[in-house]
Amino acid sequence: MFNIDFSKIGDLLLYDQYDPLLFGSSLFLFLFFGFLLFYRIFAKSKNTRILLILFFSLYFYYKASGLLLLVLVFSAVFNFFFGKWLFNTKGDSRRRMILIFNVFINLGLLAYFKYTNFFVELINDLQIGQLDPLDLLMPIGISFYTFKSMNYVLDIYLESMEPTKSFRDFCVFVFFFPNILAGPIDRASQFLPQVESDLVISREDIGKALLLIMSGLIKKIVIADYLSLNFIDRVFDEPLRFSGIENLFAMYSYGLQIYCDFSGYSDIAIGIALLMGFKLMDNFNSPYQATSIADFWRRWHISLSTWLLDYLFRPVQMKFRNLKIYGNVIALMVTFILCGFWHGASWMFIFWGFLHGVFMSVSLFLQKPKKKLYKAIKLTNTRVLKFGQVFVTFHLLIFSWLFFRVQELSTIGDIFNQIFSFFKPSVLPQFIAGYTPTFVILILGYVLHFLPESLENKTVSILSRMNPVIQGIILAAVIWLCAQVQSAELQPFIYFQF
Amino acid sequence: MITERLKKIICDALEIETSDVEIDDETIASQVPGWDSLNHVNVITAIEQDFGVKFKGIEVLKCKNVGDLQNLVNSKIS
Repeated sequence: MFNIDFSKIGDLLLYDQYDPLLFGSSLFLFLFFGFLLFYRIFAKSKNTRILLILFFSLYFYYKASGLLLLVLVFSAVFNFFFGKWLFNTKGDSRRRMILIFNVFINLGLLAYFKYTNFFVELINDLQIGQLDPLDLLMPIGISFYTFKSMNYVLDIYLESMEPTKSFRDFCVFVFFFPNILAGPIDRASQFLPQVESDLVISREDIGKALLLIMSGLIKKIVIADYLSLNFIDRVFDEPLRFSGIENLFAMYSYGLQIYCDFSGYSDIAIGIALLMGFKLMDNFNSPYQATSIADFWRRWHISLSTWLLDYLFRPVQMKFRNLKIYGNVIALMVTFILCGFWHGASWMFIFWGFLHGVFMSVSLFLQKPKKKLYKAIKLTNTRVLKFGQVFVTFHLLIFSWLFFRVQELSTIGDIFNQIFSFFKPSVLPQFIAGYTPTFVILILGYVLHFLPESLENKTVSILSRMNPVIQGIILAAVIWLCAQVQSAELQPFIYFQF
Repeated sequence: MITERLKKIICDALEIETSDVEIDDETIASQVPGWDSLNHVNVITAIEQDFGVKFKGIEVLKCKNVGDLQNLVNSKIS
């Protein structure tokens, strides 16, 4: 009756760098439901539960990275023993040396896989020498799990936590599949105690998990992938073929795409972890509602921004504190340029980081005059001021995302050339008629983004009170909706490349 | 137990009134209006100047709350 080719099933389950287990793919959903079933059956047996997490996490990573799994295992072993060594070492200078060595190896590995060819190209371009690029395959998620493992050692150095005695627990922290490929970059101090605690999943947790998984799928498939494939890519590939107004809409659309792509992934990761009884840190908080760039960084990729704040910005700031405001400027520029470089080995990312550093530094100098001006014209704490701040911040962000998206600076020139010299607002009705679903998704996406948080809490509360069968039907309906909208294969998450 | 002197230095650096804010040993920076990551440096340099002490960067980074900061000051002036 069923003609099953088992060799194909085998191939499907083996490592394929072009076919990782993407959240939202049918293979992932199938395997995850199987995993969750056993996880719940062994809910009372902590050891079995932990072994299941380790096994599934290692498989999940192997499916995306093959033998590069060994780099991940090395990272776990190395940082676990360094954490212990650092904790047992007395004397500031010895502790400092151990930390420097640890950071050097962690960042060295990251640099080798991620930045070698960037520097080879730089050496060739500057004609310092003539080197051939290396044939390197970057272990997926290395930027995320390196930072995750490093925070364990850094927190032990800063005496914020004691090392765990259990290598097994530490492996759960490093290998944990929901956040291994693209974060959130969870903190060891918050995660490790959860490994040893009993499995408690409240009805509210389930309601929240369902909402996160559903909103994540919708954000990724219905909004990000749809906008990207049907509109954004076309405009950014050849901006000169489109009018200024279409280029402007492509910029707004990309702002929504990158938010929905990345926060969609984080939502699903946090939701999946919740179904397993783990609470990961929040990664997004309506970032386009930010009233300043500083506020944006308190709302965007929170796990990375707080990591950089604690382990990079603060130490640099303290080092240059005698320079007062200029010390802050140095710390901001160093942090944001490296933040850009963390995202990828390209001048565009470095420039994107530089731009954010400049935005933050300029606002630092404008802080006091702005306060005085708002007071003088009686705008302090008014809605008009808030609207203006959100509007300006949003447009600065939309501009900065261009450096994230384009490969060459000339593309940005083309886009602005079209906007300023070929705006053609008269094509708007044609644009709406030709791209109706795109336009509707764009508007709906931003409207949803600006909805108050209380609405989300209310939805969680309603979902939590529902019968599990109804919950299952709603989840299935959302998956079905996503499958209908999906016009091609699930697109790789943008942040996977980082 | 934090001293009135430390509380006043913190409030002056942040340009807020001491009567407007509750600060005790357990208070962390984010609980005090205006004490954000950028203003943090003003608070630390103001404490150093007022008490005539010099902290190592790592000593400040290890402080988790105002109580830790007070202990650090005490260890420097004693």
